[in-house]
Amino acid sequence: MPERVKTDMGGATAALDYDAELMLRVRDGDGASFGLLLEKHRSPVVHFLYRMVQNHAVAEELAQEVFLRVYRSRSSYEPTAKFTTWLFRIATHLALNSLRDGKNERLQERLDKDSPEMPARQVTDRRPSVEQTMVYQVRLDEVRQAVAALPGKQRAAVLMHKYEEMEYSQIARVLRCSESAVKSLLFRAYETLRARLAHMA
Amino acid sequence: MKCPIETPENAQLLLAYCTRKLNAESTAIIERHMEICPACRQFSSGQRAVWEALDAWEAAPVTVDFDRRLYQRIDREVSWWHLLMRPLRPMLVRQGLPIAAAACLLVVAGVMLQHPASAPPAAQPHSAQVETPQPDQVDHALDAMHMLGEFSYRVRGGAADSKM
Repeated sequence: MPERVKTDMGGATAALDYDAELMLRVRDGDGASFGLLLEKHRSPVVHFLYRMVQNHAVAEELAQEVFLRVYRSRSSYEPTAKFTTWLFRIATHLALNSLRDGKNERLQERLDKDSPEMPARQVTDRRPSVEQTMVYQVRLDEVRQAVAALPGKQRAAVLMHKYEEMEYSQIARVLRCSESAVKSLLFRAYETLRARLAHMA
Repeated sequence: MKCPIETPENAQLLLAYCTRKLNAESTAIIERHMEICPACRQFSSGQRAVWEALDAWEAAPVTVDFDRRLYQRIDREVSWWHLLMRPLRPMLVRQGLPIAAAACLLVVAGVMLQHPASAPPAAQPHSAQVETPQPDQVDHALDAMHMLGEFSYRVRGGAADSKM
């Protein structure tokens, strides 16, 4: 069970999450704590970015940039929010920039020609038939396209809500908007997704 | 119960129900309502379909050399910075103050050379308001000078008397 410490932040006493405590150790020069943070958040960050930009190579490149920024900012780090809020704020910012610049589209074309993104799991795990694999791929493409069609912020909100299981309040802090704005973003996003994916039921 | 779809607040409730984030009591209320409301049933089944579709979308595992590449980038960045700062470090440590002073002087000199006419505008209004002495002030000054002269004469006279 992660140990929790208390610290005084601006007069109010706030409980620090374990990650923030690790980050404070990184600030004090403890490289091993950075390794622990990386171990814990590597997959969630890469997966979030992958679903945002829908390209594995770009997602990993962006994730590297996220952790590099975390490392660079260590000396000025102040635990004013949950560590994951800060982490996903950096990730979302980079992903939205990447989408805006269209960086991943050029790479996507090249990668799509090379190899499908997830061939191993379907073939090795349950050994499905060719038909099952094709059906799965078609459904997956539909899901990916439906998510890709969402505006950037709606997409980020849905991914954090669905896969990271974040509360509305934390999503709001990541996206720097109000909780009601997040509820509205999510409601509109799911409405769009229902219209496109409801037939899959 | 009012139909959840009709009000935004209740629609949030229905969304929470579909994502299984409602408590048992609210879940029971929603389920009772859905038995008589086809719109909510449709909303719910659509949302569940979305949820399951998203569940099926698994992200590929992170490549095995992710950490190695990251640490390489960190090392490169750190070593690049060290390399850049290495020749300057002894000077900064031993002669930090003189260097800082010299740098400040250079900056100030540069600013003065670039803006030679920057000081006069402040002095201008001052010179326009030259004070002219009032007659009673002149009288006071003359009185003071007279008293000073008299004092000086008496002091000198006193000194001459004592010599005699």
